[in-house]
Amino acid sequence: MMPVRAWARAALLAAVALGAGCRNTGPAAAPPAAHTAALERRYFGDSSPPSDNTFRFNNGAEPEIYDPGLAVGQPDGRVCRIMFEGLTVPDPVTLAPLPGQAERWESTPDGLTYTFHLRRGLAWTDGAPVTAGDFAWSWLRVLRPATAARYASMLYPIANAEAYNNGTLADSTQVGIRAPDDSTLVVRLSHPTPYFVFMTEFYTYLPVPRRVIERYGSQWTRPGNIVSNGPFSLVEWRQADHFTFVKSRTYWDAANVRLDKVIAYSVEDLNTSVNLYKAGAIHWTTSGYVPSQFIPYLMQFEDFQHGRYHGVYFYSVNVTRKPLDNPWVRRALNYAIDRDAIANDLLKRTRDPWGNMTPIPYAGYEHPPGLTYDPVRARECLARAGFPDGRGFPKVAILFNTSEDHRRLAEAIQAMWKQVLHIDVELSNQEWGSYLEATTTLHYDIARRSWIGDYLDPTTFLGLGVSNDGNNRTGWSNPRYDALLHAAAAEPDPVKRMRTLRDAEALLLDEGPFIPVYHYTINDLVKPYVRGIQPTALDTHDLKFVWIDHGFRRNAPAVATAGNQGQ
Amino acid sequence: MSVAALGRVAVAPAAEHGASLWSDAWRRLGRNRAAVTAGVFLAVMAALTVAAPWLPGLADPTLQDLRLGAVPPSPQHWFGTDELGRDLLSRVVYGGRISMLVGLVGTLVSLVIGVTWGAVAGYAGGRVDDFMMRVVDILYALPYIFLVILLLVLFSKTLIMLFVALGLVQWLTMARIVRGQVLSLKTQTFVEAARALGAPDAAIVFRHIVPNTLGPVIVYTTLTVPAVILQEAFLSFLGLGVQPPAASWGTLVSNGSQVIALFPWLVIFPGIALSLTLLCFNFLGDGLRDALDPQDRRDVA
Amino acid sequence: MTTFILRRVLLFVPTLWAIATLTFFMVRLAPGGPFLAERDIPAAARAQLAHTYGLDQPLTAQYTRFLANAVRLDFGPSYKFPARQVREIIAEAFPVSLELGVWALLLALLVGVPIGVIAAVRQNTAADTAAMGLALAGVSIPNYVLGPTLVLGLSLSLFLFPPALWQGPESRVLPVLTLATTYVAYIARLTRAGMLEVLRQDFVRTARAKGLAERAVVMKHALKLGVLPVVSYLGPASAGVIMGSLVVEKIFAVPGLGRHLVNAAFNRDYTLVTGIVLFYAGFLMTFNLLVDIAYTRLDPRIELS
Repeated sequence: MMPVRAWARAALLAAVALGAGCRNTGPAAAPPAAHTAALERRYFGDSSPPSDNTFRFNNGAEPEIYDPGLAVGQPDGRVCRIMFEGLTVPDPVTLAPLPGQAERWESTPDGLTYTFHLRRGLAWTDGAPVTAGDFAWSWLRVLRPATAARYASMLYPIANAEAYNNGTLADSTQVGIRAPDDSTLVVRLSHPTPYFVFMTEFYTYLPVPRRVIERYGSQWTRPGNIVSNGPFSLVEWRQADHFTFVKSRTYWDAANVRLDKVIAYSVEDLNTSVNLYKAGAIHWTTSGYVPSQFIPYLMQFEDFQHGRYHGVYFYSVNVTRKPLDNPWVRRALNYAIDRDAIANDLLKRTRDPWGNMTPIPYAGYEHPPGLTYDPVRARECLARAGFPDGRGFPKVAILFNTSEDHRRLAEAIQAMWKQVLHIDVELSNQEWGSYLEATTTLHYDIARRSWIGDYLDPTTFLGLGVSNDGNNRTGWSNPRYDALLHAAAAEPDPVKRMRTLRDAEALLLDEGPFIPVYHYTINDLVKPYVRGIQPTALDTHDLKFVWIDHGFRRNAPAVATAGNQGQ
Repeated sequence: MSVAALGRVAVAPAAEHGASLWSDAWRRLGRNRAAVTAGVFLAVMAALTVAAPWLPGLADPTLQDLRLGAVPPSPQHWFGTDELGRDLLSRVVYGGRISMLVGLVGTLVSLVIGVTWGAVAGYAGGRVDDFMMRVVDILYALPYIFLVILLLVLFSKTLIMLFVALGLVQWLTMARIVRGQVLSLKTQTFVEAARALGAPDAAIVFRHIVPNTLGPVIVYTTLTVPAVILQEAFLSFLGLGVQPPAASWGTLVSNGSQVIALFPWLVIFPGIALSLTLLCFNFLGDGLRDALDPQDRRDVA
Repeated sequence: MTTFILRRVLLFVPTLWAIATLTFFMVRLAPGGPFLAERDIPAAARAQLAHTYGLDQPLTAQYTRFLANAVRLDFGPSYKFPARQVREIIAEAFPVSLELGVWALLLALLVGVPIGVIAAVRQNTAADTAAMGLALAGVSIPNYVLGPTLVLGLSLSLFLFPPALWQGPESRVLPVLTLATTYVAYIARLTRAGMLEVLRQDFVRTARAKGLAERAVVMKHALKLGVLPVVSYLGPASAGVIMGSLVVEKIFAVPGLGRHLVNAAFNRDYTLVTGIVLFYAGFLMTFNLLVDIAYTRLDPRIELS
């Protein structure tokens, strides 16, 4: 065996030397040496650190657009955050806002005005200084209707932002953003928003260089044109393949950035992602790029990270269709699902059973009691709705976009409803485009859906139940619910506000069109020599805190916080 | 028998022995042991899958056992179980119903359409050939996914639609291959002879030329069977084809390939079923080709 | 011959027009659209996007504009990747698919044709059965099973090749192998079938009777005609291979054209789908023309009127 392998390697090395020229050193993995074999078994795959300070990871699907003001998905956002920095940056563990481009901030007691003070010495990669005016211009650009920014709603807490964005207000100077001088930004909100500073971490709030955009238009993000203000700058981009970033010398905190280079790959296939990790070609698979069936197996390894993710998987019920318009039917469906069995048996504890529509606890928020498994009560509800023992219940269908995971879950729930309620439901899968069309135009009975929150406040989920909200997609409309949310928005006292939101969620769970099933989790593979990556609620990480510990086998594994990231 | 008589037999078979091409071929096929074994095997497999609901001891293919999960082959589950704890042996047997039906009918449809189209185009030549082949080009170039999605939009999800979707593309390459063969054959002397005898064009094409193309045609047909079965899995992804909890060999292989590193048996067993079917079709096809070969007439009395 | 070629090239125009028109309407008829997502977009953004892409104009106007641009090979920006032109995406992805496809086809031909010839010459012997059995394995094992198996075996266990990505010559091996195996089966089988037909024909008997060595008979005389079905098959197969195999590209993270087409279809990226389809159609027709020309070279009896 050995001689063949050695010969093969020699032949390959020869071929590489002849053919490759100066390709980068990533992919081919080395088999672990014998004396570290025991250590290696604690980790999944190759755990020898790279010889340089280049961090490689799988960013997942190809980013659609990585202009921060126009970015939409997680892959887009991650790329933006590598290159650009906002007023605040997320703490590596808690995601609490830490000073970024702004060194401090304060707010008025009524919670309506925030003043941010920028650091001295901030610069773009082309040397020009970063000013408060840059932030003001960037945010107004997002709100300008002609820009067609899909995440403009992130800025709606700002006074008059929504009106300006949907065209009812033409004068942009009325929007509550002011830059009285180069290093001060004053923001006026339309209602007290306790999570506003947190929002400034979000990629839609990141600044963009005006003169570059005005010069290059839509091509401004190309390597060579692009100018940024964050810890790294873009030097190479190969579509559907990878991005290459190098450490930015003009970044204000460059002294504490320990990576020289970052390479973000765009590998869509989950199995491939895991294989690359195993071979040591990438050092981190972002959450969602590990196949769920692998997770129970991976849980035994030390480099597997598991935590709660800020998202809920639920079924959406179309209340415009009979018999789903009857809240007793919906309650019956809810109580007939054994969420524990799903999470523990079907999903093998890779996800958490969840009966609420808001995920992980928010500071100061107490969840109302969640939906539970109660077959007796379920049958009572169904009888009360007029279908005792399931007699006469029309055929309804569970719609999902084609995917193994959705299919298995739907089959399990189909079996549960059959067993407890004695009703027959069909399963129907459609490809993505058709599925989206069906759910947005209410052409379905029950559909599988997910919602991932954007910021750590219950309203990011409770907003789904608002009448006529674009993300509602169920036809459910309850004036009392809307009123509760309005009241919470205007409430200056944070304690009272949280209580009002709790009441809203209780109403949503009781009468609402949503059937929560499980709580999303983070499932990452992170090499043991990578420091600074922990599971975070939103799966966001600021790579400035990440470094490669070449001596990791000597050092104890450390939990990186902003405080000790330099050690 | 004299040499001269032998030669005559080769040119005008029918008159001498009262045996048409087909019954003679049937007899010769019966002598081909590999083909017969393959045929019998296929028939048995088909019978098993059709009789699945009544087979004693065969588990319910939709019965889940979440706590069990996926386990490798054992005395209780000869093929093991899938992630929902369902018996794989029973799913493979039930899955065979759709797959064998799909494989057979889908392939036959593509065979008939493809051969006819290609033969006519090749024989006619000129503008007709150009036009017919351009139609093939157009159908080839159009994105298949949209064709299927539109089919789903315009019509409901029935078995017929499944066959239509399958048939849409499979015949195209067949037509091209047949056309190539016909172009080559139509210049040969036996065609001139038939024309001189006054045979109409249709007869020339279908009674004389097509049988001589049978070699590559049969080969391509047997290769089409697994392609059609796997294509059905792709259609299932789009929402056509088998819907859960039912399964076909194609969907079993396709789903199993996602977890091949963890639960290889989920791919191996349906994969073996698929390969065996293909092998049988191949032997059968080879036997058919040998039996129908007009030039291979060795067994004259 | 020249008139024939000229006529065929002229036929490109109406055929491409038909494909362009059909695709244009088909993608717009499919349910869903390019701006539907899990998360709703503000109404103003949706209106603005519709305006930028001309979706708020009547369909006929959109169609004429599309045709006018398509003639100049300008398919506009992709819907899904608005900062990139469709032309650029194709220009960057195509060479990758081309490289992958050419290697795979070459390998398939180099392996498949000899196997087919040997099997035909030694029909019904052990060599025939073995060769055909191997080829058949290639066709009944789909790419999405073979690929991961190769990765598990040759990459993650034996560390011979990288498991994915398109960097460096060693990364070409597994994707090319995976892609080639299906084609080997077809090519081997078709060669064998074609050769069997040819080896029975009169002129072969004549050549043998003239005392020519068997090898010369096979290689010089029979082979040219025997590969005719393979050549017919190669027309669409080459175009297909060069378009990229979705499965292989996905498994090995190869940045080729196949992945783009399928993703664009699911994302309802109208411009990218149309651009790739037309690009592919052009290739397909060119290859088919080359195949027809090859017919006349291989079999002098064939005349294309």
